[in-house]
Amino acid sequence: MKKKFLYIILPALLIVTACNKSLNQQPQASLDASIGYNTKQGIEAGIVGVYDGLQQTGYMSLNYLVFPDMYADNIVWTGTFPTFSQVYNKTILADNTDVNTIWNAIYNTINRANGIIAAAPSVADPSFAKDRAIGECETIRAVAYFDLIRMFGGSPTGYNQSGGLGVPLRLAPTLTTTDAVAIARSSEADVYTQILKDLDDAIAKLPTSVGTGRVNKYVAQAMEARVQLYRQQWAAAEGFATGIITSGAYSLVSGANYATIYTGKNSSESLWELQYNATDANNLAFYYYPSNFGGRNEIGSTTSLRDAFEAGDVRKPVNYSVAPPTGKTLKYTQANPGIDDVMMMRLAEVYLTRAEARAMQNNLLGATQDLNIIRLRAGLTPTVAVTQADLITAIAKERRLELAHEGQRFFDQRRYGTTGIVQTFRNLFPIPYNEVLNARGVVVQNPGY
Amino acid sequence: MKKFLLVFITLVTLIQVTVFAQGKRVSGRVTSADDGLPLPGVTVKVAGANNGVLSDADGAFSINAATGQTLSFSFVGFLTQTVKVGSTASYSIKLVSDAKQLNEVVVVGYGSESKRVTTGANSQVKAKDLQDKPVTGLDQALQGLAAGVSVTSASGTPGGAVSVRIRGVATLNAGSQPLYVVDGTPINTGSNAQLGFGNGVTNALNDINPNDIESMDVLKDAAAAAIYGSRASNGVIIITTKRGKVGKTNVDLDYYTGVQKAIRTIPTLTGPQYVQLIQDAVTNRYSSLIGTPTYPTLAALLTNGLGRGNLAADPSTYGTTNWQDQVLRTAPISNYNLSVNGGTDRTRFNITGGYFNQQGIVRGSDYKRFNFRTNLDHNITDKIKVGTSTSYDRSTSNRINNDNNIYGVVSSAILLSPAVPIYNADGTYGHDIYSSVENPVAAYKEPLNSTLAGRLLSNVYGEYKILPSLTFRTNFATDYQITHERRFLPTTLNAGAAPTNGSGNETYLSDLNLLNENTLNFNKSIGDHSFSLLAGQAWQKDNYETINAGGTNFPGNSIQRLSAAAVKTTATSGGSSNVLVSYFGRANYNYKQKYIISASLRSDGSSRFASGHQFGYFPAVSGAWIVSDESFFKVKPISTFKIRGSWGRTGNNFVGDFAARTLLGSGFNYNQVAGLAPTQLGDQNLTWEKTTSSDLALDLGFLGDRITLSVDAYYRKTNDLLAALPLAGSTGFTTYTTNVGSLQNKGIEVDLQTINVKKKDFSWTTNFNISFNRNKILSLANSDAPYNTGFANRQQVGSSAGAFYGYQTAGIFQNQAQIDALNAAARTATGSATATYQATLTSPGDLKFADLNGDGVINTADQQIIGNSLPQFTGGFNNSIRYKIFDLSFLWQFSYGNKILNYTRVFAEGMNTIFGQFATTLNRWTPTNTNTNVPRAAYGDPNNNARNSDRFVEDGSYLRLKNVNFGVNLPASVSAKLHVRKIRLFAAAQNIVTFTKYKGFDPEVSTFNNDPTQQGTDFLTAPQAKTFTFGANIGF
Repeated sequence: MKKKFLYIILPALLIVTACNKSLNQQPQASLDASIGYNTKQGIEAGIVGVYDGLQQTGYMSLNYLVFPDMYADNIVWTGTFPTFSQVYNKTILADNTDVNTIWNAIYNTINRANGIIAAAPSVADPSFAKDRAIGECETIRAVAYFDLIRMFGGSPTGYNQSGGLGVPLRLAPTLTTTDAVAIARSSEADVYTQILKDLDDAIAKLPTSVGTGRVNKYVAQAMEARVQLYRQQWAAAEGFATGIITSGAYSLVSGANYATIYTGKNSSESLWELQYNATDANNLAFYYYPSNFGGRNEIGSTTSLRDAFEAGDVRKPVNYSVAPPTGKTLKYTQANPGIDDVMMMRLAEVYLTRAEARAMQNNLLGATQDLNIIRLRAGLTPTVAVTQADLITAIAKERRLELAHEGQRFFDQRRYGTTGIVQTFRNLFPIPYNEVLNARGVVVQNPGY
Repeated sequence: MKKFLLVFITLVTLIQVTVFAQGKRVSGRVTSADDGLPLPGVTVKVAGANNGVLSDADGAFSINAATGQTLSFSFVGFLTQTVKVGSTASYSIKLVSDAKQLNEVVVVGYGSESKRVTTGANSQVKAKDLQDKPVTGLDQALQGLAAGVSVTSASGTPGGAVSVRIRGVATLNAGSQPLYVVDGTPINTGSNAQLGFGNGVTNALNDINPNDIESMDVLKDAAAAAIYGSRASNGVIIITTKRGKVGKTNVDLDYYTGVQKAIRTIPTLTGPQYVQLIQDAVTNRYSSLIGTPTYPTLAALLTNGLGRGNLAADPSTYGTTNWQDQVLRTAPISNYNLSVNGGTDRTRFNITGGYFNQQGIVRGSDYKRFNFRTNLDHNITDKIKVGTSTSYDRSTSNRINNDNNIYGVVSSAILLSPAVPIYNADGTYGHDIYSSVENPVAAYKEPLNSTLAGRLLSNVYGEYKILPSLTFRTNFATDYQITHERRFLPTTLNAGAAPTNGSGNETYLSDLNLLNENTLNFNKSIGDHSFSLLAGQAWQKDNYETINAGGTNFPGNSIQRLSAAAVKTTATSGGSSNVLVSYFGRANYNYKQKYIISASLRSDGSSRFASGHQFGYFPAVSGAWIVSDESFFKVKPISTFKIRGSWGRTGNNFVGDFAARTLLGSGFNYNQVAGLAPTQLGDQNLTWEKTTSSDLALDLGFLGDRITLSVDAYYRKTNDLLAALPLAGSTGFTTYTTNVGSLQNKGIEVDLQTINVKKKDFSWTTNFNISFNRNKILSLANSDAPYNTGFANRQQVGSSAGAFYGYQTAGIFQNQAQIDALNAAARTATGSATATYQATLTSPGDLKFADLNGDGVINTADQQIIGNSLPQFTGGFNNSIRYKIFDLSFLWQFSYGNKILNYTRVFAEGMNTIFGQFATTLNRWTPTNTNTNVPRAAYGDPNNNARNSDRFVEDGSYLRLKNVNFGVNLPASVSAKLHVRKIRLFAAAQNIVTFTKYKGFDPEVSTFNNDPTQQGTDFLTAPQAKTFTFGANIGF
């Protein structure tokens, strides 16, 4: 009897053990986050993932790139999306899903960068270039926070003013559910402090060359020049700009070849452009172009932008196409697959940054020289502006024409105080409704929305 | 023990006696006393003997018996009859049917039992109510037939998804569908599609031929379902396929064919009306620009300012295309089914083959399926039995883009301008070149969107009677599915035209689900005490693998395989697996079949949860008391009075396979270098969603159970709801899967069955069922923080799951003074000199929204729950009438009180851009048409009239004549002449009459069908069909 009992019990026990063991299944196309960044290969792939974060539709692959021009005077809405028409009409509701996508995409990118910055110091492999890795991610994190401030922060009257609103400042990766607790918005000034800290550290850590489409020391410097311009720190802006210009690492493309900056890839004046290819494409030309050119005709260039160009400006046909499809930009022409690169930083902007910084410091000669470099390249005559005020206006206009369709217009208007929006609270985009809702009020909505 | 021995010896002796007594051959025929038809499968036994025989297809039997012995004839649904063997050798037996419902057999988890001793809440639907319905899948066939079971087809696309909900929505998760168990094997359901077709998905349940089904038993309460533990909280539907019957081999052919038509079309604007509307909209929005030097005329503004030169001419010069007429058709449907059924007392078989062919009422869509099945049972010895249920089916379908997609056929038929011609003068497709909306005719004609699905569903079982009362059963099952999708968009489509030059995708999915189950069953009656014990163990593993590849730039449109694509745009593969380990047991006891108690316990371990949280325990207890069997019960008209009650717990583990882990995903590449990025935030403490249910019910029978009434009241509370909880995006994630809260369902189900007439030549039965369910969210994570889902759904404590949320309209602004007054008040209230009540560009004719919080301005705080997507009650009313050779059945089905978000109208009545518009926009506000609830046309909608509001939330109640079936059974004399056993000819119709106020195509709609948090939305969904068929059931 005892034996018989054993015959039954033993196999039963074996079955139970074997079955319970099979409960340990492993993912096949993912890695556990606790081990993913432990190796050099893993963390290098993680850095690539940070760049990929910038390529989200909500970020540089569409929304964040076109909304600043559409919320100003460069892009007209010609399509069907109510979320886009709200931006064009300057009647954005807080629950606009495409604005929500921007917010989420930028913070998603920040979280990716935070993951690398946190994990890099403990990677033991001596062949892993820790400084470069951290520098790249700090630069991108700084860019991301700056992009958040430009759209959702500051004051109705501009940037870096007292009481300016910031955004939640998260510097550690969200790894567990306890990390995933919403935190309140920091002040605009505190966010700048972090941005500058990241950029300064990155400048110290980064080499001058990293690789195609990646950020290097010059990119970090150019970004800091841009940030300082927004902060009205003219001398600092000028200093960083001068460093890049005098390095000789970059040179302007000739006016005759102006269109090739966009139709080609990584021109001599490109400090950093996001790289796209057939398996990693964007929707930009698809959103501009009409259906008979493979697009959805959602947006186009305004007649106001067309009319802002002087006669003979080589940039005019690039920004308002003459040949069909008319009224579009030639900066994004590959509807399918969308392989047009996105400009993150060009030497032309660095010149204009220095021109403005110099004009503000009353270095009118230097400012005029920088402005004219851009004007002459565009096939125009030297500027006729003489006074400081006229020169600043001329540089602002040049900035609009040079950087049209590159996601800067509305933010520059905010700096100049020329948005023309009557309800001035709308100079800040609304914090997405879902953010306020899901943060349970910890993240406070911008006033007026 | 002594007693047992005594019984044993007596038994043995009896058998001996019987053996000795066998002497002569007794034969005869068993027929039904009701209609005189032969009764096959009647058990014929010599009283006291162990084995007997079954009557064959003609009701004939033959058995060895001695004079003086008693023969008993028993058959489900009939009173058992006994006959003493006399001198004659042939007997004609007429069995009288037993109306008593309690004698029916119902299928329960891991077994079956008589309805009398059932303590759980079950509903059974029999083959006769399922067959001959012109539906693709068995889930659709269930509609309206069972109390508490609500069935909604997501769209009218052939082979499309169907949502089945049992006793409300017990989860906030995509896993809201019941568990389907086919011949003992829990199967995979849902969509295997990888390519997006808007929301047009496939439905793995279509792989089961409705003709093969013997019965569907719906286990509704925990007492019935808890034996399936962790997957049972949405209820369980047990499907039993037809098995072989002892007797002469029967060959049956079932056939029907017919046509389908759209239930309705929606009137749209003509070309001139449409252009007039666009021009009005642009004038309304930009009146200040027109007449300026840049834009001297409206035409100049349209042409140069807005890039819409094609809409600048005089409206009357435009033609009209009715796109709905172009894409909808009268479509054929047909079904062929052949079955061969028979067997001996040792081996029984049922072999079937079927072919189903349905074209969709939307052009370009179809669904074809062939399948065969072999069900086999064989007794090796008296103690050992083996068998199999094996089916293979293969379906091919051409799908169409639909739902939530502007490239679809129905969607483009609604959204493309009627002023566009079908073809241009040069024969190419007409397009609005400034719109990405596809030409609807091109959208159905040009693309290749084929899906091929194959499924092998097979189990083999072995049964060993260890003791007469103790049976061991083992079951090995496999459910293997493959799905192969192909898409090719040629250059004739917007999406395939230059510079794409043709775009192709192919996907492949294989899903292997393996199961082993071992059970021990002990049944014993001692005197008036009956025991039944079940113990079992199961292991189930599901593993799927996917491949998806795509490319563009083909050499023309002839070669559509990806090898021809010059630019490869997609190349991915993936896979995942999960394992479920289970131990379960159940004990039933009854005394005199009058006092019944039952208890069960299942323990499930799931690989989806982290170690330490893997195992869940799901107990249930239940009891019943048949009061009418008590001697004191003397209420004359009441023939049955049974009280039953149950309590139990079920679970749900429908989350991602690795939802508890924080993961880095692959494919986040940049510049052709491989990248990783965080994809999922894992909750280590993630665990089972648990539903605790109580059920109290009364089963009543009147007049010898000619009228039976079941009333169930239930309360179900779900704790640890599994859901994707939205996070503040600033955390870097937008959601994570966690146990978010609790909700409850409470309700009452009434099931009334009456035999109105029961005569030899005339019978009429009706079945009426109605279910009331109330759903309420009780708690949510983050101190009950509400969150939004879908287009306009919100999960909020105190409301039902998936309620609609938005602004409330308060009429239309008739003049500027009204707006100015509100703006002035807004400035006072806010202290801001530029504040406005709604928007700076609000004008007369725009909608006014209600200032719910009274702060003087309209913003997100002025939203509230504006409708409940769940019905107040649903039900069905089924009638079966037989008069001589004629039979008629018809089923009404209804849903009351549910709201539908008609999101199609947001676009087709938006009057804000170039989409085609419904004819209702003719009644739009103008200075001369002020008595209307349709706002003005305004290009770009600066007032956001189209925001989520009660304007688009409609009453979705309906009453529908779902099925009518009229048949003629040719008299035996005729069929005998034709050398066939029976012939029935029938004509049927489906969805012929619908009463509803809903303005869309069809109130039976659910674009996001599976997600309880996004239910009740209609967005560009293909309409249901009304169907007319005729057919025949022929038995050889």
